[in-house]
Amino acid sequence: MAIPFAPLSLSSFALAPITVALSVPVLAAKPVEFAREIRPILSDTCFKCHGVDAAKRKGGLRLDQKEEWFHPRKEGPLVVPGKPQESLVFTRITHSDPDDQMPPREEVRQLTPLEISKIRDWILQGANWQPHWSLVPLRRPALPKNDNASWTLGPIDRYIGQRMVEAGLQPAETADKATLLRRVTLDLTGLPPTLKELDTFLQDSSDHAYERAVDRLLSSPRYGEHLAVDWLDLARYADTDGYQDDEPRTMWRWREWLVNVLNDNMPFDQFTIEQLAGDLLPDATPEQRLATGFLRNNRVNGEGGSIAEEFRVEYIVDRVETVSSVWMGLTTGCARCHDHKYDPVSQDDFYSLFAFFNQTPEPGTYRRNAKPSLKVPTRPDQRRLEEITRDLEQSDDSTRKKLEEERKRLVDRTPETMIMEDSQKRDTFILERGQYDQRGQKVTAGVPRSLPPLPGDAEINRLSLAEWLVDPRHPLTARVTVNRLWQHHFGVGLVKSSEDFGVQGDFPSHPDLLDWLAAELIQLKWDIKALQRLIVTSATYRQSSQPSRVALQIDPENRLLSHAPRLRLSGEVIRDQALFVSGLLVERVGGPSVKPYQPANLWNEIAGPTTSAYAKGYQQDTGDALYRRSLYTFWRRAIPPPGLQIFDGPSREVCISRRERTNTPLQALALLNDTIFIEAARGLGTRMIRNGGENDTARIRHGFQLVTGRHPSPEELTILLRSLKIHQRTYANNRDLAAELIAVGESEPDHNLTASELAAYTAIANTLLNLDETITRP
Amino acid sequence: MINLDPFTRRLFFRNSGIALGSAALAPLLREQAGATPAASLLHFPPRARRVIYLCQSGGPAQMDLFDYKPALGKHFDRDLPDSVRNGQRLTTQTSGQNRFPVAPSAFKFKQHGQSGAWVSELMPYTAGIADRLCFVKSVHTDAINHDPAITFLQTGSERPGRPSMGAWLSYGLGSLNQNLPTFVVMTSATKTDGQPLYKRLWGSGFLPSRHQGVRLRGTGAPVLYLDNPPGVSRTTRRQIIDDVNAMNHLRLKEDENPELSTRISQYELAFRMQESVPEITETGDEPARTWKLYGEDARHRGSYAANCLQARRLLERGVRFVQLFHRGWDQHENLPRDHQKQCQDTDQATAGLILDLEERGMLDDTLVIWGGEFGRTAYCQGKLTRENYGRDHHPRCFTMWFAGGGVAAGTTYGATDDFSYNVAANPVHIHDLNATILRLLGIDHLRLTHRFQGRNHRLTDVHGRVINALLA
Repeated sequence: MAIPFAPLSLSSFALAPITVALSVPVLAAKPVEFAREIRPILSDTCFKCHGVDAAKRKGGLRLDQKEEWFHPRKEGPLVVPGKPQESLVFTRITHSDPDDQMPPREEVRQLTPLEISKIRDWILQGANWQPHWSLVPLRRPALPKNDNASWTLGPIDRYIGQRMVEAGLQPAETADKATLLRRVTLDLTGLPPTLKELDTFLQDSSDHAYERAVDRLLSSPRYGEHLAVDWLDLARYADTDGYQDDEPRTMWRWREWLVNVLNDNMPFDQFTIEQLAGDLLPDATPEQRLATGFLRNNRVNGEGGSIAEEFRVEYIVDRVETVSSVWMGLTTGCARCHDHKYDPVSQDDFYSLFAFFNQTPEPGTYRRNAKPSLKVPTRPDQRRLEEITRDLEQSDDSTRKKLEEERKRLVDRTPETMIMEDSQKRDTFILERGQYDQRGQKVTAGVPRSLPPLPGDAEINRLSLAEWLVDPRHPLTARVTVNRLWQHHFGVGLVKSSEDFGVQGDFPSHPDLLDWLAAELIQLKWDIKALQRLIVTSATYRQSSQPSRVALQIDPENRLLSHAPRLRLSGEVIRDQALFVSGLLVERVGGPSVKPYQPANLWNEIAGPTTSAYAKGYQQDTGDALYRRSLYTFWRRAIPPPGLQIFDGPSREVCISRRERTNTPLQALALLNDTIFIEAARGLGTRMIRNGGENDTARIRHGFQLVTGRHPSPEELTILLRSLKIHQRTYANNRDLAAELIAVGESEPDHNLTASELAAYTAIANTLLNLDETITRP
Repeated sequence: MINLDPFTRRLFFRNSGIALGSAALAPLLREQAGATPAASLLHFPPRARRVIYLCQSGGPAQMDLFDYKPALGKHFDRDLPDSVRNGQRLTTQTSGQNRFPVAPSAFKFKQHGQSGAWVSELMPYTAGIADRLCFVKSVHTDAINHDPAITFLQTGSERPGRPSMGAWLSYGLGSLNQNLPTFVVMTSATKTDGQPLYKRLWGSGFLPSRHQGVRLRGTGAPVLYLDNPPGVSRTTRRQIIDDVNAMNHLRLKEDENPELSTRISQYELAFRMQESVPEITETGDEPARTWKLYGEDARHRGSYAANCLQARRLLERGVRFVQLFHRGWDQHENLPRDHQKQCQDTDQATAGLILDLEERGMLDDTLVIWGGEFGRTAYCQGKLTRENYGRDHHPRCFTMWFAGGGVAAGTTYGATDDFSYNVAANPVHIHDLNATILRLLGIDHLRLTHRFQGRNHRLTDVHGRVINALLA
């Protein structure tokens, strides 16, 4: 890049900064954007002492607010637009005397030469100050011009296309139809397409074949089961309490509610209100009260000797942090002990939020479920109960007796779910250093002062908090929500730090697109499926995942989306897909958690049989329960399901908004050896033999297509056929070995097939289930 | 790529063009990539290169093991003076007691070695190596309940979500080998009922999950899913991995995806681990001397003694951080009886491990740490006799010890008052200990950081100071 050096006097530079500053080309031609480039530097290096935290502020100077920057000061102006040498900020960061140079030399984080030159350029260019992007009121930006003519352009694509053009990139071609169907089916339902669905789609050459497939997937009950997993991570959902003895609890009815309302496409504003304050709605229905179980999913401590108030405070802190993170992308946790160092959240703000959740008569130490709680029959049980009530009126005595018995059974099996209830008014105090017993000043419920105020007339409680969060004027909720949906479909959000929209978080890759999507979500009346439809029908989403050479060089992280990302599937989807293609999957929405296979003795080795609940260790289920979708797996926080953990499942101890996608030898071992994957391989092998055709080639093609959605290449076919022959020989020569292999797992092998033949196909299916392509969203 | 400055680290990753951030257990592959931890990249010359942390879960009673308090004898069954307790918080297990009667130790103490360290009769083997140890009598911590306290000990935070020490070291120092994980965890079977452990104690928190501890199990396959299923021989497994990799290679030719080449390597590594991991647990090749040092119990897989032996074997094979957990130190009642059992399970093997490392020339650059999440109270919980008593949790002072690389052997640091209730001199907070441990490994605890939720986090949070007196 041939960029001329800017005319600049270096006379007042200290020696060290001169040498370093000179080594950096001065990009004077390129405008420096305060919000994107300067604030993150200031935040990282200055805000610790010159930021929000009043208690730690040095020299009475704060740099996080505009007024302070341009306020006259007796030491001279902080910044003189166009004149770095007359700007106190610049002279202090380049001061020749180490005692006066900022940041102080004992700070680990120092300014780099590049950062100093950026600050200089920013001042030279007029020191244009901008507020932090995520707190700016939401507006609907104008669509960029259509100057990427090679694309059929929807709104999303115009924004994506614009940045690509600026960077000298071209979009990838549209992915082939088979890839596209596999991608969108996995993204929306967490399962691959069936071969029949694939054939139908491939043969449908009409204009809107793809859109029709999308609509079919959005209305599948599998949609809610898949989307629920993201929300379960955010809601830190688990089946145990997460402290000390980690006792079991019963919250699955809340999970079932979640799956149901995702499938119902409950608008996100209502979804928010019901989970945060369903109990406070006028004439709240049982399901609306149940929804507040979201807030009771936190860990609770039943350890002997615990002080109740200490832990009650912990639970509320967890709720404040979770709600702030899920809806606002704000990390409020630091403000528990002191004003936030970077974001405009004071300690006062923190305890004002705390006050909203401080009115529930929940004990401080408890095991299992504690009040307030509620029994809400599942939807099918509720329907049946209503039928019974109707039928009772017109039944004879013997039928009546049977119906009464059935009613009792249904009522008895309805679990108690923990919920919220504002029935114990408490005063709230700032807790000094966050300690439960160090009460400071009294505060009332309220929202952070840097955000829009609560409506003046509303009663101030969780309901007004929830309504405030989904008020279209709230700058954060819609942005944070669309960003997470984007993350669901592209692996990375437009804001990479989907949990942190604060000053220290990442700047959006496409700020206008983020705002446009957020505005669109509000305009769509918070219709989540409609927004997802918009995303998955965009040309951006439909690109091939084949990167161009140029893209690999100039955008290796693919932040500009010049091709579709390839994403390793989650542990849940990998397992569910294996069950699905093997024909083992038992699909049934909702219900109590299940205990599928787990290596023996795992619980006892780590935790011992400390409470009666674990006296017998892990009690594995049998039958259908072994083959349910993974979101129903019993989640013990101290020892989460190992198969899901290995594929980066979280611990569900705290709210998590994104998982990693690692690539480890332990994953290889699990996929190669875990009972469920061997049993699935046998199931897949059985299907290959039974449905694949008369000869080995046809059968292998069938299996290959089942797991990848495409036909094998001649080379791939050669590899598999050659190995099949080897496996056939191995198992024909050693029938005991064959019998052992096909006996893995509790389902019965197909006894009409020759054991050695089935074993050989099981080995081939084991290979297929381990392919990178199988466990990758294409 | 072993670089402690996150900024440079990011630059490196970016420039390398390899998605290392998504390559878990990549440390295993680093040697292949030609990148080993270079001492020159550390903040200080390291005194130790690897660590064995012998975590005694439940809270051993300092005044029954190391913190000799003859004055307690005079106060038998007299109430702990209020001036000593000084309003300190109690757990609700004893806050309801109307008396706090002092319980002197039922065990005899003697001075040992040239250093003259006091050790009780419960730990004869540890007493025998007293000159190799550095006792810290004045350790204190924040939490008073097990879960927050042990989480704090291991991660520097009472709340879940932070990386454990082993994860930080894996992140900061990388691997020393290519066939085994960097950070290995073992839990041992106990005679007494123990406090449960949690996966977070060896978790990676917000660090990439490849840095979490891999558990070497005491029963079943030593690593989860390590064993081939029934009916799959090693030859068949090789064939399957060959095919998977051959087909992954075909894809790689088309699209040069770095994730794909990592996956191919990980399958090779998985295959190698199937051989290298069982080698660790198959101790048939150990000389007779081993069983003398560690005791016969070391022959029983899953015992504390066997785990101590495995720890040495892991270190020999290039594992950097071995974390042992031994549960069962939580004696609210029957402490004399049950502490005795705990010591029988652990004392000989602990000392044997130190001697073994020394004999093999490994102690010089291995740091060994012994301690639990808190100590126990001088006053009795429950019924008190001369021979029997219980003790409640006590975070205000307790004893830990260190041995090996860079440690001031044969010294005692810090002191408690006559009741072993308050620190009387040279307090050492858990954050200080952690800062000192990192220092021994050549790391400035202020500079080993990771950005998460907008903040640069450290093992020592915003605290910690290096205790120079503990360094040789």
